[in-house]
Amino acid sequence: MSDTSTAAAEVFADSVKGVLIAKSVAATGATHIICIPDTNLKSAIEALHGPGMPKMIYACTEDEAVGINAGLYMTGHRPMMLIQNNGMLACLNTIKAIALDAKVPTFMLIGQYGRDVKLPIEKNKLRVVRLLEPTLDTWGVPHWRLDAEKDLGNIQIAWDRAWADLGPSAAIVGAPSN
Amino acid sequence: MLKHKAVEIIAAHRKEAISVATMQAAAPWHKAGQGKDFHVDASACMGSASSLGLGIALGAPQKKVIVLDGDGSLLMQLGSLVTIGAQAPRNFFHIVFSNGHYESSGNQPIPGLGVFSFVALAKAAGYAGAESFSQADDFDKALPGILGRQGPILIDLAIERDDAKPAWPGIPMAQMVAKLRADMGF
Repeated sequence: MSDTSTAAAEVFADSVKGVLIAKSVAATGATHIICIPDTNLKSAIEALHGPGMPKMIYACTEDEAVGINAGLYMTGHRPMMLIQNNGMLACLNTIKAIALDAKVPTFMLIGQYGRDVKLPIEKNKLRVVRLLEPTLDTWGVPHWRLDAEKDLGNIQIAWDRAWADLGPSAAIVGAPSN
Repeated sequence: MLKHKAVEIIAAHRKEAISVATMQAAAPWHKAGQGKDFHVDASACMGSASSLGLGIALGAPQKKVIVLDGDGSLLMQLGSLVTIGAQAPRNFFHIVFSNGHYESSGNQPIPGLGVFSFVALAKAAGYAGAESFSQADDFDKALPGILGRQGPILIDLAIERDDAKPAWPGIPMAQMVAKLRADMGF
């Protein structure tokens, strides 16, 4: 066995069935999903339109999603966001002001769009893939990876953390759902 | 129309509505005693008032929601007009204080001043109605009827430029979020 062949065969994130992601999301008790679609989460989004799923609200931008999430929270609902890694960077100011400073539970299911799953994240070519987690760390946003079916429980863990902290949290889907 | 006069008129007709205020409409709204209950400011997130108001309107369809927005602020999340139009909350009333300037930062002109129309944009985005007012008396007479209609409705107010020092309510947004939740019974 050579190190080279082992490295070439290794996959750092597997596809997870979208229906399983959707079931895990529904199990949190989320009432609404404010969605700006992500390619990695295409099949999960499709499954989230099924019966018994949270109400889906499409917004134009992630900034809007943070605000809508907060408005629903203030009126007694349990919303969440579904966005892309690029979108997370786009809404940092509203995350800062609303999720962090105003203490609003803001659970984000984030698709790691563009990730090469055959490389460790830190060796990916795309800057957004490499820097998503360090950016979340910088802002004190706790996050968990969802890189395989065994990680599905991280959705509940991240959800619970947002509500325990009254702040943001994230579960990051590493490969396209199928 | 003077900003403080516009605030006075909205306050007089607010009744039980939830309010959201931002930028230089917020301090006069608080000064008029409107920030105590069923209210939240969009603080340090310029542009978010409309989105916050939409979330509240969707979450509490039994209550009217009045958003006191700024023109520069709304331009920062202009797409929210489309999101609001698509969701079409009947209880959503969006009042834009249009003074044509970024008042808080020193009255620099907003982009597109005199070129675009919030009324036209809102109508094209799917709002149920949109109107503009430049005279306080006209606004005062029309507002009760507008608030009796089904939203979402946008009201564009032509507000005179104010060169006074910017003022802020100084209440942490977290405190207002918790208070509004308590007012709503949560």
